[in-house]
Amino acid sequence: MLKKWMLAATLVTGLSGPAFAETVNLLMEGVPDTEYVKTLLPEFKQATGIDVNLEVVNYAEMHTKLVPQLVAPTGSYSAIVVDFYWVGEFTKAGWLQPLDERIKADNFDTSVYVPKMIDLVGRVDGTTYMLPFYNYAMGLLYRKDLLADEKNKADFKAKYGFDLDVPKTWDEYLKQVEFFTKDGINGVVNQGLRPDPIAMEWSNYLFANGGEYHDDNWKPTLNTEAGVKAVEQYATNVNKFGPVGSASFSFDEAFNVMAQGKAYSYITYNFFRAGIDDASKSAVVGKVEIMPVPGTEAGKGGSLNGAWGWAIPKSSPNPDAAWTFLKWVESPEIAKKRALQGGSPTRSDVFDDPDVNAKYPYAKALKEMLLTSHNFPVFTYTPQLVEVLGRELSLAVAGEKKAPDALAAIEAEMSELAKKDGKLK
Amino acid sequence: MFGWLISSPSLGLLFLVILFPVFWALFTSVHDYTLIAPNFDTFNGLDNYMKAAGDPEFRHTLRLTAFFVAAVVILEFALGFLIALMLHTVERFKSVYYAILLCPLLMNPVIVGLIWRMFLHPSLGIVNYLLSLVGIEPVNWLGSTKVALWTLVMVDIWHQVSFMIVLLLAGLSALPREPYEAARVDGASIFRSFWHITLPLMWPVIAVTLLIRLIFAVKTYDLIYIMTRGGPGVATDLVSYFIYRTAFVSLNIGEASAMSAILLAVILGLTAWLHRYMRSLT
Repeated sequence: MLKKWMLAATLVTGLSGPAFAETVNLLMEGVPDTEYVKTLLPEFKQATGIDVNLEVVNYAEMHTKLVPQLVAPTGSYSAIVVDFYWVGEFTKAGWLQPLDERIKADNFDTSVYVPKMIDLVGRVDGTTYMLPFYNYAMGLLYRKDLLADEKNKADFKAKYGFDLDVPKTWDEYLKQVEFFTKDGINGVVNQGLRPDPIAMEWSNYLFANGGEYHDDNWKPTLNTEAGVKAVEQYATNVNKFGPVGSASFSFDEAFNVMAQGKAYSYITYNFFRAGIDDASKSAVVGKVEIMPVPGTEAGKGGSLNGAWGWAIPKSSPNPDAAWTFLKWVESPEIAKKRALQGGSPTRSDVFDDPDVNAKYPYAKALKEMLLTSHNFPVFTYTPQLVEVLGRELSLAVAGEKKAPDALAAIEAEMSELAKKDGKLK
Repeated sequence: MFGWLISSPSLGLLFLVILFPVFWALFTSVHDYTLIAPNFDTFNGLDNYMKAAGDPEFRHTLRLTAFFVAAVVILEFALGFLIALMLHTVERFKSVYYAILLCPLLMNPVIVGLIWRMFLHPSLGIVNYLLSLVGIEPVNWLGSTKVALWTLVMVDIWHQVSFMIVLLLAGLSALPREPYEAARVDGASIFRSFWHITLPLMWPVIAVTLLIRLIFAVKTYDLIYIMTRGGPGVATDLVSYFIYRTAFVSLNIGEASAMSAILLAVILGLTAWLHRYMRSLT
């Protein structure tokens, strides 16, 4: 008994020691950009004496872990990262602290951010709640070695009557998907898992066909020619030109198919561009390039925009230390250091930095992707919309619903959500 | 009186961790309680229940869950009983078999889901590779609406069948030996003594085993979450995962609580019926 008490006493005294040093607790997603931040943390500790405790989890866990902490009067996270599609919900529920006063007091320059980024994960109705962390606009990964192959060029020209080259329009790309489905290779690999992998990827198909989610008054515009075409093309790509089972792939599984050299193309998040050149994960190092998803005509992009923002929750136990961290991690030099490791920037100065461009020639393509991208509808019920999209699109891909029926169902539920949120009158 | 006094701490604890959440959920289920406006300001009576009962998606998940539960409980029981009977007669290496059989049971369902997701990858997974060696075309394990639910049933069997085996084996080893000896003297075949001695004597154990497995099977959530997210289409959308989404994606705690209450009522009714039915057999 005495032993137990002594043990308990030692534990208590031992644990209470480090609790006095200031610690910033962060919940982040296990993605490359989080790793880049991690490598720089010792510099933060050196500069400020503040410890950073990173809790890194899978994307799927994040929302579930965040909500209880955000609802609580005092949560355990000092600062958080917010995916663009939680922005409406988090701000409407009043879970985030406005940052404008802190920005003004410290003269933090927010004008360097690409405006699309500030719109998506920065300002909501004139109040700044977040600093844009990294962007994950989606792009088209394609095999440049297959495009350059002389026999492919000749065969393609003979079959379609125009040259095989980097696709300038969406239709050209679809022809290439069909063409490259041969010799044990698939023309495309898709991420068809419910709900966000399929919803996010399909959005590119919608934009590429010239479609949008809603008009200026939030009236859904999905059940249109562009929407129907997008669903049908998506289903054809999965069922006819994709590998078996891509209707259930999440992005890691789809990426693996691409990285094993078994697919010509894959529409996915920009951060996989760095991953495809990592020889420990990829058999096609140096053979893949990224570009904006082509649109209806040359120069028009069909990419879906996406980004994460840094925010301080109302329930933050130590908002001042959290702001110190945000200021540091978004400072020009740290943002540049992250980009030099492969991170995807949100600031124009980092995009245009000569060192970044020298190291990553595709930085230009990433910037173009971002500039020509389209935003997903952001409102209080975005996560629910994603859920509905996932369900209906998956049904359409499985052949259990016709494209117009699936789109009509999405439109109906989307209208209801937009009405509930006061967006649609 | 003294007995109550002694057991009051644990009763209090039980109340706190079991009864209180149940009552809180029931209370929430008759209010318009969302995580965006987490308060009990709006009492809305049975609205949440009506909405849930009228929701075709919820009803679909209930039907699907009933099918899934029936499939896993029946198949696991049949397989588990067979293996338990075989193990019962084994003399040597019993502990080795136990150790092997218990391995899946000790694993976290999330890990089971992740491992099988890797195994079942249609083009890069080991299962389809092994099948291809004997000339079988790649199977679309999780991407086909016709196969996905059965894939989950199979993984669930792999994971949970040892639970049945262990409980049934414990029951078998507790059976008295005399009836079997008497039956052998009378010249009864193995099947007859199984049918007339083992089964009747085992009923109470079987009933309990089936009940526990049934209740746990209704709550299956982790496998769905990791392996299919309810897809493809709505082919594997089990009710627990649907309730979870209502609560944490739609943030509608009130309606999710009503759904949970409906589910609780169904499970309670089923349990009571099964319990009584099994009783009547013995």
